[in-house]
Amino acid sequence: MALRVDYLAKETGHNLIRNPSLTIATVLTVAVSLALLGSALLIRSGVGGLNTRFEDDVEFIVWLDADATTEQIDTVERALANSVSVKNHRYITRQETFAEFQTFWAESPEILDAVQPEQLPTSFRVVPANPEIELVEALADEYKVLPGVVAVDFAGEFIRQLNGFTSTASTIMLVTAAGSLVASSLLMYNSIRTALFARRREVEVMRLVGASNSFIRIPFVVEGLTLGVIGAMFSILGVFGLNRVISNSVEKSSTALFDSFALQQADLVPIAMWLLIAGAFIGAVGSGFAVNRYLDA
Amino acid sequence: MIKLENVTKQYAGQADAALKNADADIAKGEFVFLVGPSGSGKSTFLRLLNKQEEPDAGRIFVAGKDIAKLSNWKVPMLRRNIGAIFQDYKLLPTRTVAENVSFALEVIGRPRHVIKSQVPAICELVGLGDKVDKYPHQLSGGEQQRVSIARAFVNRPLILLADEPTGNLDPQTAIGIMRLLDRINKTGTTVAMATHDRGIVDTMRRRVIELADGAIVRDQARGVYE
Repeated sequence: MALRVDYLAKETGHNLIRNPSLTIATVLTVAVSLALLGSALLIRSGVGGLNTRFEDDVEFIVWLDADATTEQIDTVERALANSVSVKNHRYITRQETFAEFQTFWAESPEILDAVQPEQLPTSFRVVPANPEIELVEALADEYKVLPGVVAVDFAGEFIRQLNGFTSTASTIMLVTAAGSLVASSLLMYNSIRTALFARRREVEVMRLVGASNSFIRIPFVVEGLTLGVIGAMFSILGVFGLNRVISNSVEKSSTALFDSFALQQADLVPIAMWLLIAGAFIGAVGSGFAVNRYLDA
Repeated sequence: MIKLENVTKQYAGQADAALKNADADIAKGEFVFLVGPSGSGKSTFLRLLNKQEEPDAGRIFVAGKDIAKLSNWKVPMLRRNIGAIFQDYKLLPTRTVAENVSFALEVIGRPRHVIKSQVPAICELVGLGDKVDKYPHQLSGGEQQRVSIARAFVNRPLILLADEPTGNLDPQTAIGIMRLLDRINKTGTTVAMATHDRGIVDTMRRRVIELADGAIVRDQARGVYE
């Protein structure tokens, strides 16, 4: 059975412009729902990146009381040195702390003027052997209770909250995306049904003169695929745009923590592929159901 | 060529069967009129032959094959051997005469050079050689029916089914259409034509199968309308 490409292209093109408002509605719905899906995926991979980033250079700071005795400091140091969970640790003197302090507040001399090295606490910088957030947190808690320790600083809680927030956000987006994907499949179904109705005379004649079932059906399925893929392309533009916006605000941000949210263009390619596949899938499923429902011999 | 054995067709939601225990045997090259009032089962008889409808009982043979046993994908092959024309022509209004005819070849995947040579020839045969670029609305009823005959015959089917082809035409134009169908029949094509037109049946003196309330009540060689 020869289904010629030029025939298919001509039929599909003709069908797409036959009912422009429905074509636009279908493409837009597919685009919006896939853009939601894409954004959810984008945020997911940003959060994923955040975790890896944190796990790579995790470190916590055991702040010592400014009045801590040498004995107390030694106890803490021994505990750190003997722990198998600690990869390495480093004592930060008042001078070192002051140096860091100077760099940090370089633009605010009035603050620097007000602080003397003697007023600053000393601390241990600790790198844990295992960077899992849970384990690091448990480990950090062990040192909180030692005498002479005022506080243990650790980015874990912050990351946990950020994680919770973004994963809730992306879950909501995924659910919304799922809902609108169903809506766009139904619209696709109706769009193809309308195309079938518009071409019912041709279909009737094709049947009468003995066109094969696939010859009659394939143009409609191709039309659905085309609508789905065009919608997917728009959604990909949207996702690239969103990533650009995120990248811009990450660049302006003072901390490097959010760097993982700005994906490289190359990292967007898998997301784009998924959106294309999803668009084609919506088109195929929507048109497939319509064709099966209304073209049965 | 066509054989019905005890065929019954009952449409859903209707009290009486459209066709009841019909038996008929039509040989290759025959010209057969199906006559009878509206609703007597003429159209159903024709629609069963190219599997537009399925019988509820009985067996139908076309060219020696039991068409109930054809798998779905072979039904189009059956239809390529059975041309069909109708009272309302079923032409595509946005296509010219030539395009309407070539459509029938395009959609069954005939190569372009075949289409190029066959379409003008068949348009010539039906007497529309000078109107190939006209659209259906620019043609008279008789001319439109000729286009539909060209479309049905361009693939050289073994059988031509005609469902009241002259129903919308004046008597003079109808005679022209009958002459054309007669010529097609003389090429060896079996023609089965449902009609109300007493004049045509009585003039042509061909085999007549008369239906009444879904039953075959008369089957007469060289018959008249009643």
